[in-house]
Amino acid sequence: MKIIMNRDRLIESVQHVMKAISQKTTIPILTGIKIEATETQVKLTGSDSDITIEAVIPKEEEGIILIDEIVPGSIVLHAKYFPEIIRKLPNEMVEIESDDKLQLSIRSGHAEFHLNGQDAEEYPHLPLLQSDSSFSLPNDLLKNMIRQTVFAVSTSETRPILTGVNIKVEDDHLHFIATDSHRLAARKIPLEVDQANLSFSQVVIPGKSLNELNKILEDTDEKIEIQVGENQIAFQAEHLYFVTRLLEGKYPETSRLIPDQSKTIIHADTKTLLQSVDRASLLARESQNNVVRLETKGNEVVEITSNSPEIGKVEEEITIKGMEGEDLKISFSSKYMIDALKIMESDQVKIEFTGAMRPFIIKPVDNDQILQLILPVRTY
Amino acid sequence: MSKWNPKNGRVILHVDMNSFYASVEAAYDPSLKGKPIAIAGNPEERKGIIVTSSYEARKKGVKTTMPLWQAKKLCSNLIVMRPNFERYRKASKEMFNILFRFTPFVEPVSIDEGYMDITECEEYGSPIDIANQIQKIIYQELDLPCSIGIAPNKFLAKMASDMKKPNGITILRKRNVQEKLWPLSIDHMYGVGEKTALKLQEININTIGDLASANRAQLKQLLGINGEKLQDRANGLDKRAVDPESIHRFKSIGSSQTLPYDTVEVQDIDRLLHTLSRNVANRLSRKDAAGQTLQLMIRFHNRKTITRSKKINKHIDKEEEIFVHAKILFEENWDGTAIRLLGVTVQDIITKEQMVTQLDLFSYQEHQEDEKLYEVMTHLKDKYGDNIIRKASFNEKRKFDLKTSFQKDFLDD
Repeated sequence: MKIIMNRDRLIESVQHVMKAISQKTTIPILTGIKIEATETQVKLTGSDSDITIEAVIPKEEEGIILIDEIVPGSIVLHAKYFPEIIRKLPNEMVEIESDDKLQLSIRSGHAEFHLNGQDAEEYPHLPLLQSDSSFSLPNDLLKNMIRQTVFAVSTSETRPILTGVNIKVEDDHLHFIATDSHRLAARKIPLEVDQANLSFSQVVIPGKSLNELNKILEDTDEKIEIQVGENQIAFQAEHLYFVTRLLEGKYPETSRLIPDQSKTIIHADTKTLLQSVDRASLLARESQNNVVRLETKGNEVVEITSNSPEIGKVEEEITIKGMEGEDLKISFSSKYMIDALKIMESDQVKIEFTGAMRPFIIKPVDNDQILQLILPVRTY
Repeated sequence: MSKWNPKNGRVILHVDMNSFYASVEAAYDPSLKGKPIAIAGNPEERKGIIVTSSYEARKKGVKTTMPLWQAKKLCSNLIVMRPNFERYRKASKEMFNILFRFTPFVEPVSIDEGYMDITECEEYGSPIDIANQIQKIIYQELDLPCSIGIAPNKFLAKMASDMKKPNGITILRKRNVQEKLWPLSIDHMYGVGEKTALKLQEININTIGDLASANRAQLKQLLGINGEKLQDRANGLDKRAVDPESIHRFKSIGSSQTLPYDTVEVQDIDRLLHTLSRNVANRLSRKDAAGQTLQLMIRFHNRKTITRSKKINKHIDKEEEIFVHAKILFEENWDGTAIRLLGVTVQDIITKEQMVTQLDLFSYQEHQEDEKLYEVMTHLKDKYGDNIIRKASFNEKRKFDLKTSFQKDFLDD
């Protein structure tokens, strides 16, 4: 195998597949990167057996030659050394060549490395996704939907299903839902006609997988093809293939847990509220769920306070756009509130409360595609 | 810098209320004055014991922890009363407020005694003047007697306040230690309990003076680090500062126990873990507290000791919760060799008043039954302050448990 190519493009692709590689895997060869060269492209593969990422570098892209020379072949290289070497090479071109003893030479400028490789035949054959259910989304929309939900997945393994994002098709909408049981983040989009007959109803994707996917997807409006299988889901972008296992088990039914009526509604400026809660959280103790308190003061003012006897206290009144319903005092985690407000995509938010010990809902004023729900904190 | 004090020394007072509960009762009902009074737990039950008694009763031989029947035998006209904790708590608060008039450096130790650091209180006069004023104000305003010790450190102040009762004021200087302290029998020394006294007497240490000059290595072997500490005190040395916050601070509550024999039997181990968890849960409940970290100590047959702890995602205070986490930690860290001792400690403790519960989407409805009550409580607190009300369950009737529950928890509200 021999490849002579542009170094920067190789670095980018290596970084993508590295996202799937873990040094803690039980299958030793998976700590390596697989490189496969054919006449027309070079393909890199990284996997921890839960997530597999393939990055393809075509010989030529939009008239630009990316690879000057290819002699087909394949090899597996240790993921600890190969990426660092490529990154630090002196020249913008790199030559990679392997012999039949699995010895690899990397040359760039006057630098020459020799690395021991492993036989690509020993790299596990990753199960091919069997799917007849697929749809596509623009990259940037998918990234948004991930960003607006994945932060709310549970980090605790006590209920493993909650460590994933629930993706389901319901009422002609595609829904992303995540909850750690203390807050819930939901995003939905209307399905387009050609997606309407999707044959899957719901899957749960590990939050970790979506985080990695979000990191390597480019923020463009190019379409990404999503294939849903029995145990896996695959995302196919132009030069990137990302496949992850799904979480097994039934995701709890969350829609009935979301209150459909409210006693107090507040309209507020997203940024003003966010900054005020952020300030109040400075004196909230992490050990106490970072609690801050919100209290309505008439129709135009809410007070945000936090009090930690051994540190100090903070009070701030902010002007709101309006309030309907009963007066309210409620305590909640500032962290959850900040997380929720950060992804609102709207200057104005509407917060619907149903009582000091019941979940409340935050939505942008102008659309109902984003919903954030937070469970308050009970003080004694 | 005070003109009465050595340049880098401190002046510490120990204020000790004289037979506090009985005195409070006599102040409340002056007709009881001069009569033998005893406060007893459960006087209706036969096993009631004397919690405290007036000096008149003490003269007849009535002693704290004595069974009621025995006390009555010694003093037939003994007036026995049930404890009125609210009264004592109120009097205690007022008493400490008087101390606070002189300095913020007041360290309450229990319901009826506290230390003060009056080094910087020159403006109120000499230390003896200040002690006189305190004694007088407490007597005039609360009709209660107290004894005060004046010394350069906490230990000596405590020993001094004990020398003249009731209504005494005693100065104990470091140079008086040899003359005033050393002749005292070892079991009169503050910090030496019954067991320690017996151990010391076994190696022929019978007086505080004996302790002061004893072999330090031998003491350390006998009593550990506490041995060295006690010897320093016997020599009049005590570096502890007066710490006004100490009463509010309890960071961990633990219980440990040695097995009667080294064991690998899971049944024995579980039983001990249950006992320890129950002890810890009981003590937490007395303090209305809960903790977020569980620590397990395992001592193996070869004396090798390990401690392992883990953070829990919620505050725990129930025996079962403590047991479950202790058991998990145990299983993760036991290599199967014989065990001599186990200890269970709950750390990162806060009182339930400071505690918050993050409600859960799948279970928040369980809290709904409290919602109305919660709203009323919030309303009252906003209107009248945090102390106006709290849920009764946080103050469940406390077992009257001498020295552990009430006397130490007197400032809890």
